Order: sequence, then structure tokens, then C-alpha cells
Amino acid sequence: MVHAPPAALSTPPTAELVAAVVRLGRLLRARGIAVTPAESIDAARALGCLDVGDREELRLALRAVMVSRREDYDSFDQAFHDVWTATSGLPPSVPLPGPRHDMVRPPVTAPSKPPSVSLQNWMKPGEVVEGEALTLRAASNEESLGARDVARYAADDEEAFRVLARQVARRLALRRSRRWKSERRGARLDLRRTVRASLRTGGDPIRLERRSRTLRRTQIVALCDVSGSMELYAQFLLQFLHALQNSFARVETFAFATRLSRVTPILRGARFRESLRELGREVQDFSGGTRIGASFATFLTCYPRLVDRRTIVIILSDGWDVGSPDVLADAMRTMRRRAGRVIWLNPLMGAADFAPDTRGMQAALPFIDLLAAGHNLEALGRLARHLAL
Amino acid sequence: MNEEIRRIQAVMEREAYVTDRQVATSVFLASALGKPLLVEGHPGVGKTEIAKVLARSLGADLIRLQCYEGLDVTTALYEWNYPRQLLHIKLGESAPGSMAEKEASLFSDAFLLKRPLLAAITHTGRAPVLLIDEVDRSDEEFEAFLLEVLSDFQVTIPEMGTIRAEVRPTVVLTSNRTRELSEALRRRCLYLWIDYPSFEKELQIVRSKVPGLNERLAREVTGVLQSLRRMRLAKHPGVAESLDWAAALVALHADHLDAAVVRDTMGCFLKDDADFKVLERELEAGRLPALVSFAE
Repeated sequence: MVHAPPAALSTPPTAELVAAVVRLGRLLRARGIAVTPAESIDAARALGCLDVGDREELRLALRAVMVSRREDYDSFDQAFHDVWTATSGLPPSVPLPGPRHDMVRPPVTAPSKPPSVSLQNWMKPGEVVEGEALTLRAASNEESLGARDVARYAADDEEAFRVLARQVARRLALRRSRRWKSERRGARLDLRRTVRASLRTGGDPIRLERRSRTLRRTQIVALCDVSGSMELYAQFLLQFLHALQNSFARVETFAFATRLSRVTPILRGARFRESLRELGREVQDFSGGTRIGASFATFLTCYPRLVDRRTIVIILSDGWDVGSPDVLADAMRTMRRRAGRVIWLNPLMGAADFAPDTRGMQAALPFIDLLAAGHNLEALGRLARHLAL
Repeated sequence: MNEEIRRIQAVMEREAYVTDRQVATSVFLASALGKPLLVEGHPGVGKTEIAKVLARSLGADLIRLQCYEGLDVTTALYEWNYPRQLLHIKLGESAPGSMAEKEASLFSDAFLLKRPLLAAITHTGRAPVLLIDEVDRSDEEFEAFLLEVLSDFQVTIPEMGTIRAEVRPTVVLTSNRTRELSEALRRRCLYLWIDYPSFEKELQIVRSKVPGLNERLAREVTGVLQSLRRMRLAKHPGVAESLDWAAALVALHADHLDAAVVRDTMGCFLKDDADFKVLERELEAGRLPALVSFAE
């Protein structure tokens, strides 16, 4: 969108300067800051009303025009420096790096590890025993206790999950928005409509129009890590999601390890055990390593309309990502921008000495609203308070 | 440096707004390019103040729209004056005239309550400064509507038709980042992030805004506040809090800080129970001098 030229435009900027600004725009784009052509045009217009001999002024002005969030200030300053100091004075033609290769995401290839049979194991959840819980990564004393909790609940305590899920569902469904809609039995008078209608009856408001608050449509999207290291916990959270989905319709569930699959229809079954069995049959190709970033990128590309401001995204993962942290950070940034809230459940948090220091966790951390454990029913109950927008 | 930017900076300083080149440049560009300015930063760093000072320095009217969740067209743009309309209908009941005429007179300027956005659009004379405060607190529906208004400064009222702005207001939006604003809105605006001020700048602000404060106390207050912002707190104090605290100390006739005075007055700058405890621990450990003698 180009506005009318401002009065303050005094001297037309030199061609070299305009070229430099264009180059700066391209460099920023190459470094992942989306500068639109409209912003480049504005930047060029800004040149006309600046003292272009003053580099500091130029930097501050171009930054105000081309950057639109705090996080990009540093990258901008670096790019500005690169373009303007390659030679002193006017910038020469700086060879640009090619388009960032990871922007075109390579197809996810299965890693070389032999596929584990983790999900197939789920067909017999009752047989999850304490011995397995102890094999969890970095299991400390407390943690294995937590894991035992999980194992015990996951065995067959469907009722407990149903109670909790119903509580959460009620919270989510009954939130009233602050917006009004006209409704015949609404609680308040809609004066605007009433006055309009009263015109037909000579100013006597015979028919009273009413209005009420709209209901908020909150939905939940869950991304569940089902790789080997997460097996028990994933099962635990899936059981909660299963219960939630059956008392509250707007839940979408995805499972990922190296690939992403939508498991919502499977979880729609009446009994969790049967759903789990089907899950094991349907989702055959899970393997040892976890490609969190790539899976999220796939999710964002394939289901772009699923996440909006009315969406709470719940991610369950321990953050052990074999992919590049940059890919994960990019995906999380996008997720954060689109979603109403991003909650990351890391069951390892249940351990006393937990620190979110895996590379994946580090990359994702800036874009998370809430990092919680959610490793047993009690923790999930605490989490329920945050499951509202 | 551009003369105009220098002038803006000088005017702002005269209005007792301690500023820097970044702020002055952004404000200048907003009026030169005719684009809205989006100001983000922590609470209490003087975001709102920018618009106020800008209006004063331009000699323009300030129109303020405070955003909140559920803010809608009737509170942001316009509302019909219903009681007056009803009265008018009653009085005109027996008067001659067709239905259409009556309706037209009912939905005219006289019955229109102008809310901030419409007031800014219909403003005549010198372009006003429109402050859209805490836009992050409104919801997306409103943000989308705002985008429309900001792109062509015209609105359509079904009963009256389209109203176009004769003079484009200078628009300043502020956000505390309680939620992420849409990409579209960001793109439409110039962007300015205001960080907490440096020690020197904050000292200058405290000195200029709190009369009767001695130099030692000004330095001590600023030092403590700067130290606190580097600690892990639930809620970091902004500049507004330093000013409150300094004013409170003046009212209490304190001339320097000691643990007792800080204890009595820490409600001025800490707003969270957990943070009280953190500071209390520091005081008990006798670390007040370290807090006071803040070093960058």
C-alpha cells in the first residue's frame, strides 16, 4: 500500500542509495526477516526526507520502516552494517548469499535407526510395568516414581481421566466472549435495533430486541511426541486427549516421531484401549529418533488453517530433536504467532534437577507460553487452569 | 542530522520527555511518511507519553482510544444517541412528513455520538494525534477492523454513508505484548521498541519529573531500580514506578535510602508478593549498598 507522497519529501534519493536499500531488503529476506516490497518502497521514500550523510540516522530510520518486531533488531543492525560497511560511504554490490537452503525444507527421510516397535507395544497397555519406566532417559529417583504414576494410571484408570477431561471441557466450552450478538432471549436490550424497530410503530418500542454475549470457540491442537523416549508419557497424554475429545469436540490430535500423522479420527473411539490398539495398527512407521522441527514444519504447511488465535496448542515432547534447532525455532516462531497459546509439556520436568537444556528445548523456549510437566494426573489437573484463553 | 528530527527532539525535551534519537527519528518518519507508529516495550517505559508529547509539541489535539477486550464498533467508532432518538420520534409523531424523511432526520449528525476513531476521522483543522493505547488488549476482530480504518481513514455508517478523513491523523499505537499482533497490522506500521532507559537517562527523567528530590536520593533511587531490573522478578518496575517511588520519598522527607525506608516504601515499585520477598532477602543480607551503587 503506497500512500500519497508526503510534503516533507525534499530531495530525491540517489540511485545508489535506493539500490542499497533494495539490497538491504534482499539481504534481510535472505536472513529470514520478511520485508515486503511495500516496506522497501517506504524505505526508499524515507530516504528522501533524511540526512543521508548521517549513518546513525539512516540506520534508525530504515529500521523503523523495515523491521516490525523487537526480535529482529539485532539481525537488522547486522545486515545494515554488512551492506553499509563493506566499503565506506555508499554501499557497493555486496554478493548476496543465495536463498537460505533450509527455507525449502528437504523431504523428511527416515533416519538410519531401525524402527522400534514402541507403538505396537501400546496394544497391550496393561502390561506396562515398572521395569520399563526405569529405562526412561536420565531417570532419577523422583522421576521414576513419576513414571510409575503414569504407568499405573495408564493401565486402566479411564474414569479419573474422564472426570478431569469433563472439568476442562466445561471450562473451555463455557467461556463467554466479550462480544455481543443479537439473540431473541438475550440478557440485555439491544437499543440500536429496538430504536430502529420502533420507527415502524411511531416511536413506541413495542418489540424489544435483545442481545447476549457470544460463546468463545476455543479449540485444542495437540502434538504428541510418540518416539521411544516418550512412549509412556505419550500414552498418558493421549488418554487425557481421548477423554477430552469425547467430552469436547474441538480437539485435533497429531502424533509425531520422524513423521507426522493425524490421529484425531482414531481417538474418537468410545474406549481408549480400543483406540490405542487401532493407533498401533495405523501408525506403523515410527522410528527411534525424533524430528520435532521437521514434524512441526509439516504440520504448519499441511494444516495451515487449524491454528488460530482461538487455538491452544499443546506440545508433548522431551525436546530431544535430532534435526536442526533452527528448523524447530522457525516452526515454533510461526506457531507462536498464529496460536492463542502454546503449552509445552515436558515430562522430564517432573525430575528435581530438570533444566530445559536440550538443544531442541533451548530453540523452542522463547516461543512457549507455558512449560509444564503434566507427567501425572495431579500435574494435568494443575495444567487444566491454563487451558483457557 | 535532519533538522526536523533535531527539532522534534528539542521540543520533546522541552516537554520534559527525555528522549533519544531513535524515538525522535521514528516520530518524525511517522508524520513524514504518513504511516502509523507502533510502539512496543515493557510496561511503564513511557510509550503512551510519546503520543501525548507529540500532540503537545505539534499543537495538535490528542484523541485517545483505550483498548480492552471486547472493544467494539459502538465504543470505538460511533453510537446512536438512543434516548434522544426516541424523544425525537415521540415529539415528531404528529408532524407531517413521510417515513423516509423522518428516518433521515433521525440518523443525522445530531444523533451521532462520535467515539474516538470517528472523532479522529471527522476532525477538521490541524491533523490530530490519534493514540490507540494497548492495542494488544483488544481482540482480533477489532484488530482487523482497525486495519481497515488505518489503511484508508474512511468509515461507512450504514445509515449515513461513507465518511472520509479530510486530514489524516498522526496515529500512534502502543502494545505491551500481552499477545502477538497480526502480521498485517505490523506491516502497516512503523515500528519502535522502547527498552528500559539507561542509568543516565533514567536519572535525568527522575530529576526532571520529581521536583524537590536531592541529587543523592535521585541517584540512589535510579540505582536500585536499575539493579532490580537485572534481577529475576515476577514483574519488573518501569520508569513510572521510579517516579512514584521518588515522589513518595520526597513526601516522606527522606534524604537518603536505608533498609527501613526501602521496606516502608517498596510497594511503590514492586507489585508482586513474591518480589517483596526477594527484595526483603536482599535487605536482610545487607545488600542494599550493592543495589544502590548500580554499575552498568
